[in-house]
Amino acid sequence: MEVMKSKYGLLGTGIVIGVALMLVGWQIVQGSYQYQGSLIETPLPAADFELINQDGDPYRLSEQRGQIVLIFFGYTHCPDVCPLSLADYRAIKAQLGEQAGQVEYLFITVDPERDTPERMKIYVTSFDPDFTGLSGSMEALEKVWSSYGVYRAKVETGSASGYTMDHTARMYLIDPSGNWRLTYPFGFEVEKVVADLQHMLREEN
Amino acid sequence: MKKPNQLRPYLLRLGLILALSTAFVAVFNEAVYLLQKDPHDRAPQTIELVIPQGTAARVEAGEDDPTIPEEMVFVLGDTLLVRNEDSTSHQLGPIWVPAGATASLAMGEPAKLAYSCSFSTTRYLNLDVRQPTTLGTRVTALLLAAPTMTALIYIYSLLVFPVGGKQPKKTSADISAPVSEGER
Repeated sequence: MEVMKSKYGLLGTGIVIGVALMLVGWQIVQGSYQYQGSLIETPLPAADFELINQDGDPYRLSEQRGQIVLIFFGYTHCPDVCPLSLADYRAIKAQLGEQAGQVEYLFITVDPERDTPERMKIYVTSFDPDFTGLSGSMEALEKVWSSYGVYRAKVETGSASGYTMDHTARMYLIDPSGNWRLTYPFGFEVEKVVADLQHMLREEN
Repeated sequence: MKKPNQLRPYLLRLGLILALSTAFVAVFNEAVYLLQKDPHDRAPQTIELVIPQGTAARVEAGEDDPTIPEEMVFVLGDTLLVRNEDSTSHQLGPIWVPAGATASLAMGEPAKLAYSCSFSTTRYLNLDVRQPTTLGTRVTALLLAAPTMTALIYIYSLLVFPVGGKQPKKTSADISAPVSEGER
């Protein structure tokens, strides 16, 4: 009887130690996560802005606190980079599943001459109705481009569409506290972006 | 089927060849490593790059900052840390650093890349990310090479020097002695 008791005692102790080691290991793995995008180490508040969304309503970045905000600068007549980046947004949203609602997906124009709110609505909602397309006055947009280091230049093509825009194709990630946190170059693997987002959401929760 | 005591000389030979092969491969690998050692062959580390105040203005005026190299060599696992002390944001390929901030990027894949760069007059900076030869790489090479070499030498040795190959010489008496009826 005594032998049986000591056997169960040893077994129980073994299980407790095993579970404790597993938890410690999990904590170490979680703690050592390395973001795969370019990480902005010093928490720096992202430049706030107020622009016009696709419904014609004012949209302020600082009102999105508590959510992760992804920002991409592009234009609706873009032949290549912008549709691919919005397709990446769609893939990110799909892979996040239930967590997708904790992320805001912004598309800010670099071509306000042509990108009216109506045009933005048709364009962004063709990718996903939850995406937000922002336009605004040249003055308001210039401040945003400058704060986010966005390069843009008009390129005359002589074609029916008139011109294209050369522009920065970086994706910005603003954390739920409103800080610039990560940036991703064009074509960055969606799976890696999703891994970063999931880690950040875990940290926040 | 050989009995265990008959297998012994084979196992002994195998063990001996394994030990000799491992020693030889280890010495050979280390000698080659030391002879061909690259100065950039090192353990991963964090490399810091500082963009000094006034860089954007100097670049605009066509002047390069002497502290910023045109080419940077990394090993896999390095982290590039860019500290921007300038009053405007800067970019180095995939890294964007707001004014007064620090941004980092982990070098996850070996590659040789020319990145657009806002703090160089050429507008480009070459980044070379190399696979380092670490102790782990050398041990892996040893683990791959030693068993293969052992197997080849072992097979070769069995062909050239068979186990128990040296039989005692037969005497002339053994050859000529008639076999008696009782022994048949």
